[in-house]
Parts: sequence; C-alpha cells; structure tokens
Amino acid sequence: MNLPDDTSTQSRTTLVQTSGAAAALLLCVGLVVWLAWLVLREIDDFSVANSDNLQWSLAQADVEFLQFRLSMKDAQDNPAAMEDVRRRFDIFYSRMVTMSSGRVFHTLRESVQSSAPRMRVLDFLENTVPLIDGPDEEFLAELPDLLEQSEQVTADVRAFSLAALSAFAEVSDARREGITELMIYIAAVLLALFIGLTLLAYAMFRLFRLAQKRADALQFASTRMKTIVQTSPNAIVVTDEVGVVREFNTAAEALFGYTRAEAVGRLALELMVPAETLARHQFGALAFLDEHRRPRPEEQHFEITLQTRDLHLFPAEVSADRAEADNALYVFYIRDISNWKEAEEQLTEARDRALAGERTKSEFLAVMSHEMRTPLNGLLGAMQLMRDHSLSPRQGDLLDRMQSSGRLLLELVNDVLDLAKFEAGKMKAEEAPFSINRLLDGLVETAQPLAQTYGNELNWRWCGVEGGGAIGDARRLRQVLLNLVGNALKFTRDGSVEVEVEYLDAARTEVEFRVIDNGIGIAEKDLARIFQDFETLDSSYAREAGGTGLGLGIARRFMRLMGGEIGAESEPGEGSLFWIRVPLTPVADVEADPEEPRDCPGKPKRPLDVLLVEDNEINRFIVREMLEGEGHSVTIAENGQAGVDTAALRRFDAILMDISMPIMDGTTAASHIRGGTGACAAAPIIALTAHALPEERERFRKVGMSACLTKPIERPLLLRTLAQVISGEIPAIPEDGPQAASAAQASAAAPAVTSAPASQSDLLDEARLGAFLSEVPRAAAGKLLERFFAEMDRNIAALAETSPEDPDLAPVAHQCAGSCGPFGVEALRRALGRIETQVKTGTLPEPAELEALADLWQQSRSALEARLEAA
Amino acid sequence: MFRLPPLRAVIAVALLATPLAAEDLPIPEDTPVLVVSGAITNTNVGETASFDYEMLEGLETRTFTTKTIWTDGDQTFTGVQLSDLMELVGAEGNEIKATAINDYAVNIPREDWVDDGPMVAFLNHGEKMPVRNKGPLWIVYPFDQKPEYQTEQIYSRAIWQLDRIIVLD
Repeated sequence: MNLPDDTSTQSRTTLVQTSGAAAALLLCVGLVVWLAWLVLREIDDFSVANSDNLQWSLAQADVEFLQFRLSMKDAQDNPAAMEDVRRRFDIFYSRMVTMSSGRVFHTLRESVQSSAPRMRVLDFLENTVPLIDGPDEEFLAELPDLLEQSEQVTADVRAFSLAALSAFAEVSDARREGITELMIYIAAVLLALFIGLTLLAYAMFRLFRLAQKRADALQFASTRMKTIVQTSPNAIVVTDEVGVVREFNTAAEALFGYTRAEAVGRLALELMVPAETLARHQFGALAFLDEHRRPRPEEQHFEITLQTRDLHLFPAEVSADRAEADNALYVFYIRDISNWKEAEEQLTEARDRALAGERTKSEFLAVMSHEMRTPLNGLLGAMQLMRDHSLSPRQGDLLDRMQSSGRLLLELVNDVLDLAKFEAGKMKAEEAPFSINRLLDGLVETAQPLAQTYGNELNWRWCGVEGGGAIGDARRLRQVLLNLVGNALKFTRDGSVEVEVEYLDAARTEVEFRVIDNGIGIAEKDLARIFQDFETLDSSYAREAGGTGLGLGIARRFMRLMGGEIGAESEPGEGSLFWIRVPLTPVADVEADPEEPRDCPGKPKRPLDVLLVEDNEINRFIVREMLEGEGHSVTIAENGQAGVDTAALRRFDAILMDISMPIMDGTTAASHIRGGTGACAAAPIIALTAHALPEERERFRKVGMSACLTKPIERPLLLRTLAQVISGEIPAIPEDGPQAASAAQASAAAPAVTSAPASQSDLLDEARLGAFLSEVPRAAAGKLLERFFAEMDRNIAALAETSPEDPDLAPVAHQCAGSCGPFGVEALRRALGRIETQVKTGTLPEPAELEALADLWQQSRSALEARLEAA
Repeated sequence: MFRLPPLRAVIAVALLATPLAAEDLPIPEDTPVLVVSGAITNTNVGETASFDYEMLEGLETRTFTTKTIWTDGDQTFTGVQLSDLMELVGAEGNEIKATAINDYAVNIPREDWVDDGPMVAFLNHGEKMPVRNKGPLWIVYPFDQKPEYQTEQIYSRAIWQLDRIIVLD
C-alpha cells in the first residue's frame, strides 16, 4: 500500500470539498442575513398596525351616506327630524374628512379611479354645509333638490368606495405577493442551507474518516516502533531537548538497573553519567547534549564511561543523534562494551607479551651467537696452528674437514646472529662512503676460489653509465651480493656467473645489481618460496652446496633494512637472475680502504718484540702461538690497564690490542699509551676485534691505533699487517691520530676525522649511537645511559658555572667529552673538546661558551631520548 | 357653529347650580356630551353620570401630543384620563362599552384604565372638536409614547364621536 500518496490525494480531494462546502456555507450565511433583514423589515411593518379596518370604514361611508339620505327623506315628512339630518351629515362629513387624511387612507387617496368620485362627494359636502348650518326653513326648501343631488352622490360614494376597495385589494395582493416571494426566498435559502450543511457534514465525515485512518496508521507505526525499541538488544534511551528521558527500553532497564518508570522524566546526564564527571563539568563526548545541539557526524559514535544504578562504571559504545521534529529528541543507542574492552586489553597484553618474548628470544639468540663465536674462533685458530706441526696426510685430511666444518659453523653462527639482531630490532643500516667498483672487485676476488671449485667463470661489469662512489651500508650490501654470487656459483657447473651493476636513474640514487647464471634454474612455483627462512629447494643440492637456508632470508631482511628490494627471475635449465635494487647516495669515488688487503711484503723481516693485550685466554694462546711460531717474542698483558703499565716499561716493536676488555678497554688503553710519555707512545698499535664497524675503526684510528684486525685472526694477515707497520708502510701513528687530532680539535670544526658522517642530526652521531645500541645489551645500555645522564646533568651544570680560570675545568671537560663518545653525543663532545684544548693551549674559553654547554646538553639529551624512544 | 338642541338647553339650565365634585356629581347645565351608565356608583341624572362640556373642562385634565394613523402630523390632545373618569363615576365593572354617535361601539377592558393611558379628549390643538371632525369626544391613546398601543386592537378602541359609556359588570 502506498500510504503517503493515497493520503495526500485524499487530503487534496477533501481540501477541495471542504473549501467548496465552506464557500457554499458562506453563501448560505449571506442569504440568511439578507433574508433576516427582509423578514425583520416585514416584522417591523407588522409589529405596528398601519391600518384600521378599512373595509369597514368604506362600507360605513356607504351606510352613513344612506342614513343621511334616509334622514333627509324623513325630514320631508317630519321637519322635527332636521336635527337628525344634521347629525347624519356631520357623521358622514367626519367620515369623508377622516378618509382625506392619515396614513391609513393613503392608498385610497392615491387611487386614481377613486379620486374623481371622491372629489365629487367632497364637493357635494362643501356645497351642502351652508345649507345644513343654515336655518331650518331654507334647508327644508332646498331638501327635495338636495335629495335629488344626493341620489347622484350615492353613485359617487359607491364608485368611490368600490374603487378604494379594489385599490386596497391591489395593495393587499401586492403585499401578499411580497410575502409569498419572501416565503419562497426563505424556502430557497433554507434549501440551500440544508444542501450546504449536508455537504459540510459529508466533508466533515470524510475528514473524520481520514483522521481516523491516519490515527490508525500512526497508532500502527507507533506500536511497531515501540516493539522495535523495546525488543532491541541494545539499550535505547530517548531524551527531549534538555536531556529529560522520554523513552527507556527493556535493554536499557537491564543495562542501567532503572525501571522505565523511574528513568522517564529524569535527566539522562544525571542518570547515566558518573557524578564526578558531571561535577567537573566534563561531559566529554556528551557535550552536545549539554549544549542542546545536534552532534556533529564525528560526535555521533563514541565510547564513554557510564554508570549503572548501583554506581558500577562500565565502558559503553554510544551512537547518538538528534531528531529534529517539533520538539527535538535525542536518541541514544548504548552498548556495554566491557567484555569487548576486556578482551581487547587481554589481546593487547598477550600480543605485548608475545612480542616481548620474541624479542627476548632474539636477544638471547644474539647473545648466544656472539658468545659462541669466541670459542669457535679459538678452535679455528688452534686448527691453523696445528698446521705448523708435521702432520700425516691422514691427519691433514682430518684437519681440513675440521676447518671446513668450523668455518661452516662460524658462518651459521654469523647468519643466526644477523637474523637475531634484525629480529630484535637492533640492526640499523650503516651510512658510509664506499666504492662500488672496489666492492665488486673484492666480491669477485673473494668468490673466485668457489667459482674455480665448480668450474665457473665469474666476472662483473657496469651496464650503461659507469659509476663509482656511494654512501650506504657497504658491508651488508657485500654480504647480500656474496650470498647471491655464492648461490649462483653453487648451482652452476662449468658455466658462467655474471654480476651486472646499473644506475636506474640519472641522479644515480638507485642502483641495481644483477647476478646472472646459466645454471639449473628455479621453477616458477619455487621463486617466491626461496626468500623464506630456512628454505632450501633441493635437499641433496643443499647438502652438497652447504648453507643454512637462511642466506636469502637474511638478504631479504638486509635489503629491507637498506630500503631496497630483492627479487629473482628464472627459467629451469636455462639459469637464474637475482636482482637487488638499493637506494644509495652518490658521491665521488672514494679512496682505497686502508684495511683492504693489498699486495704487500709477506712477513716481518726480523724477530719482533710484541706486546699482546688480550683478556681471553684462548685468544691469547692462539695469537701467541702464531707469533712465536714465526720467531717473535710475545709479552702478555691481561687487560687494558696492565697493557698501559707494561707498555710504559719498555719499547715494544708493536702492540696487539684487544678492544673489549675488563678494567680498561683497548681504545682507552691505546689512547693512554699514545697520550702518555711512556716508551711505547709512538709504537704501532694493532686493534684486534670481533667485528669492527667502520666507525669503530675510525675511533681506533683516532686514538692512534695503526691498524685493525678482525677475529678470527688469520695468521697470514696478522703477519702481513705486522710487517706493514714495522716497515712503516702503514704509519704507526695515523696522520689524523691523536697529535694531529689535537690540532684538528683545536681548529674546532675540521671534520676530517669523520668518515662516519653525522647523519640525522648535528647533535648526535647516529652511526656511533647505533653501534652502541646494537652492541650493548639492552639492560646494560639502559643502566649506562642512566649513569651517563646523571653524570652529565651534574657535570655540565657544574661546568656552566665554573670560571674559565678554574683548574678543574679541563679534566671535567675531558671526562664529559669521553662520556659523550660512546653515545654519539657528537656536538657536545666537540664543544667540550674545544674547551679542553683551549685550556690546554692557554687560551681561556669565553664564559658564554661555558654557559652554552647547558643548553647544548639539554638539546642533546632530548635528541638522544627521542632517538631511544624510536629504537 | 355648534347648535345646541332645545332639550339640551333645558337640561343644562336645570343643572346649572350643581357644583362639580367627585362625591357629588352636579347636574349638567348644558346638553350632555357624555353619558356614563351601567355599573357605577356615582350618578347625577337617573342611573347615569352625565357630563356636559363645562363639567368635563372642570375635571382634572391632561394633555399629550402624539401622531395617529388617521391624522397627519403631531396632534396635541387635552382631556380627562379614562382612569380618572372611571374613578369619578365609581365604575365597578372590569370593562366598558364605549359607543359613538354613529353607533360604532367597542369594549375597553379595565387594564387599559391606567395612569398615562387613554384619555377622553375634548380638545385638539386646544380647540373643541366638532362632530364633522371626530368630535366632540375621542378616546385617544398615547400611541407614540407606548409602542404596545400601536396595534389594530388599540386602534379599534380609539373611538371618536364618543357619546356613551356603559360600564359592564
């Protein structure tokens, strides 16, 4: 049923009918008024009698004239009757006079027919008056004549009265006709009125029916609405404009604990919103109710804490809107979301726990892997030493296998370490300048033995524009490429492996490396799978080729870390193409890395006196074995402090310095040796480290270390490096070492030393901070930072207030600068260094410079904290 | 202008000495113009109370002005109020029958005999009324003063050329 249209048509029809009826009614009213006026006028006419008994008067005139004549006839015989004649004359005279005036006889006088005889009668009367009033004798003499005249007058009297009667009849008829007309009018008006009233009644009836129909529809809609509201599983609360509850459904009763009767008529805010919230006048999401306006679209759905009758608070999800009717209404759909909230919290907690567990596991793995490497290095070193002894071919063979297994194990451990670090979120891409050409040269050189093993050709070449330097994470890039090349070589027999490199854009900000082989290839369905962790396609091949199955997974992670991509295309039987695309910042080609192995003199020419500073007994043993095997003499110091003390005793040809050591670390020890005036102040110092980051190497060089060797220590490299430093090919003290560094620091700004550039902010040395965060376990790092903050807070405040002449100034500045170092608080460290240098060189720093320290520290601290937050 | 018949003159002379009083109606000296008979207690000539012009003039008179349907313009009438006359003659009935010279007769009930009601007029505009113009006596109602007097019935009671009144029991 199309109710609205129907209704509107009906109402239109009814409207027309009603207005028609109203017009008819108006017409009727007009007619009635007009009629009433007519009737009233008629009543007015009737209410005052305007006529006497006319017919009687006229008849009387006849009679009285006859009586006059009779009296005259009597008088002829009896003169004594004269008096009666006079009386009859007077009476008739009076009658005629009466009819000549007064409104009663107006019609009579108007009558033309009657006027001539009447005039003749009057003339007769006037002529007779003198005779009547005269003496009896004259009258009697004239009597016969008068009788004769009167006979003629009789006819006139009759004619006059008849004419008058007919005139009166006419008037009477006219009047009757008027009344008849009036009656007809009345009847017509009554009929019209009746029709009008009937129409009106009909219209009223139609209206009534329509109203009834609408009322029924409304009732039905209302009932349906009520049912919907009452059966809704969500609480529905309807309030009026000022927030007084008008509707409160069953679900609302259950939710809030009020019955509908209790709730209706009360303020919704007082009923449902916690009292303290109201007291503070913080309606929050319900502000629109307090402000009597419609909620904006973003205000229509919100979560809020509500309270039940027994003051129990619960989180609720509310949908609200305002219905703009004659009286605005607010409608609230309220859902108790306690359970949902609770579940959400539990879920979040569970997720946090899982994540924390995952991180802990990764951290554990990282620590374990790291710890495993030391003994593994020991094993590998020991195996190498065994080769110095005469071995039977069988023993040599066994040793080969042991070494091969050991290297595989080390590789595995390193992979797991990378993976764990990545998963623990401790890995950051490094940003350092490097040469793409040298990277690929080194890559090919490193992989050449493997290529030869499988009878493969291995080359690399530029496609398109040849390039050179770039800033990026060279170490990881190399690792990824080595992995890809290694895979290509392993799955290719007597074929070729080609490495192509190409800039993808003119600005040289994105570089693609392609490793192309013509080996066995990979089926399409396996292509996506190969980048998964622990994924090896063919177990027999994997066994043959070796590998953990982590290589490509790690490569994928590294590429992600560097903001790049990795992918592969392959045709089974034809070969594979692995590509990586990585964003790099282009720079001019960089100098050869001093650490890169070069062709050099093999071994030191003479026996050397070497100081080995190393806390790990195994490593001590291995290195000592390696050196003593070559005829060098080795003095041992078990930590940095012992190293410094020993170095002060006599001049060693070279010092091998482990970096991480208890009591005093290698870097500090080296700087003490360099900084002191001991015998070894100028002796070459070679750093031994598990894995040296570029910035760490930079640091080693800055404290005056000559070179850096990565553990596990390879005997040939150790001997070659020793030879280089002794021969002076590598300067014992780097050019930008401590002495030079003092000058550099004195000149305040020269960033010659920073091959690791301050990346994100001038305040922090991101690389160094990153290194610190990735190297130091979280808990320890936290404690260190805490201590650092406390120390700096105290010391910087003291420095800012210290007078430039204060003798404590330089030591405190030095100490602070040293503390800044590990955390990469570079700007402050430099400022402190500058002050220290100024004091040492005798130029006193400006007080403002000292005061500026506090500000700089605050900025640095904020930056550091922000960085830690992000980590 | 008005001729008195010889009989009237005789009677008038005979009654000349009688003073005019309520208690004691004098005998009319001139020809009586009005004879009241019937249920009355105060009489002067036989069983009747007869009045000549002078006697009527000697009574307490009133004057009012009104229009009538038989005349044109305002008419000032002077005469004896009917109620006064009835009191004077000691009328004991509830109705009178008034009769004119031309024998027109009409009954007037007692409820019409009221103060400011009809009078027996003998002067019109201060002049005696001749028989030729509704004289000598005319019972007129103050039509203009009381609209309820403007009905056919009252008009019929306004009898002119009046000469006799019989008080009915």
